[in-house]
Amino acid sequence: MTKTDGTAAATPARRRNPWNATDLGLIAVFAALVAGSALIAAIPVGGLGVPITLQTLAVMLTGLALGPARAFAAVGLYVLLGLAGLPIFSGGRSGLGVLAGPSAGYIIGFVYAATAVGWLTVVVLRRTAGRPGKFRAVLLFAAAMVSSIIFIHGLGILGMMVNAKLDFSKAFLADLVFYPGDVIKNALAVTVALALHKAFPDLLIRRIRTSGTPGGASAAPAVGAQADSRP
Amino acid sequence: MSGHGFLFANYVPGNSLLHRAPLWLKFLLVLACGMASFLIVDWVVAAAALVLMCALFLLSGAGFRRLFRAVRPVLPVLAAIGLFQWWQLGGPTAARIVLNVLVCIVAASILTATTPVQRLLDGVASLAQPFRRFGADPERFALTIAIMLRSIPFIAGAYSDVRDSARARGLERNPRALILPVFITTVAFARQTGEALAARGLGEHETGEHAPPATPAAGHSLP
Repeated sequence: MTKTDGTAAATPARRRNPWNATDLGLIAVFAALVAGSALIAAIPVGGLGVPITLQTLAVMLTGLALGPARAFAAVGLYVLLGLAGLPIFSGGRSGLGVLAGPSAGYIIGFVYAATAVGWLTVVVLRRTAGRPGKFRAVLLFAAAMVSSIIFIHGLGILGMMVNAKLDFSKAFLADLVFYPGDVIKNALAVTVALALHKAFPDLLIRRIRTSGTPGGASAAPAVGAQADSRP
Repeated sequence: MSGHGFLFANYVPGNSLLHRAPLWLKFLLVLACGMASFLIVDWVVAAAALVLMCALFLLSGAGFRRLFRAVRPVLPVLAAIGLFQWWQLGGPTAARIVLNVLVCIVAASILTATTPVQRLLDGVASLAQPFRRFGADPERFALTIAIMLRSIPFIAGAYSDVRDSARARGLERNPRALILPVFITTVAFARQTGEALAARGLGEHETGEHAPPATPAAGHSLP
């Protein structure tokens, strides 16, 4: 199972525009962000005092902010290092033993949910290029909800069925507990993501618009300079 | 935030047989336990496997307290599952399910308790080696891992800073005020890191240098 994750984190580097140093920085720091959000003490929400960890928020936000390929790499890197033994899963858990536990499906699901929401984000941002606003936020929220229901909850239920040997209806009921928190976290993730794209306009959108000449402005001169200085 | 010492919490220094065993062998042990958890149908066999794994763990010299600390996080969930399945499927089946999960967890903690973090990470980075011919670059992969490890303390620090300033403004109940500044800081930090790497000529995709001699331009499409 880790083998597949290994390919996951390693392969995207080969396709189309090779990532530049800024992309590597974003991937590494967002992987660290997911890890940090899992470790940080939870926020007491409202008057209920129910603690919510920010991990799924960080996972969805990685997709919303970075798009599919880089989000896949960032969350994949986080899962890979957690499985390798760094205590970065929620509650300080770590290692391959997590794959045997009931939360295995959720952790694997993070990778696919981040990728899916990243892909949908690119589609939504392209389609609503002319008119940002409420419409865009609602579509992004829908994208986040669909991705997390299909992948995080879907694979989470599957994980509980395989590892805890629950049947589907029981696993589904056990999973329902996470829905209210997820709705809040996805709504928050979308507002934060929109603010991020406003603060850093070239984070994702310019990459989409100039997809014909990938990373041209920053990557090409650097490569050229390197080639000049080598001989 | 001081360093990232918490990342080394699982490793117990020592020189036992397990410490000296190669990484792939220990990995194989974990994998075998994972497979076994689907094949074992008798709870007595599962219990025997668990005793064997615990004996192996104690052989490394890590001690009972470490062993307990390794399984403690899952105990509440396993207790709930065990009771529920006892009620649904009966005692022996419930015992088998719970014991099989424990076997996997103890086996995995043997690996992490007897292998230094640096060797584990080197093992992960070497996973990229077989994909070199497809254009994967093990050095950039290792570089990304190193940046991620360095960034975790920064992000933990950003969370506590932002929480302090939100409290000072009386906004500690406002989720947006608590997290948005963290993410803005994070993206800015990531881009500074990227610029710092580019300025040093690190992390850029080196065209041609790593490509195998037979297919010099494989995978690179320069404009």
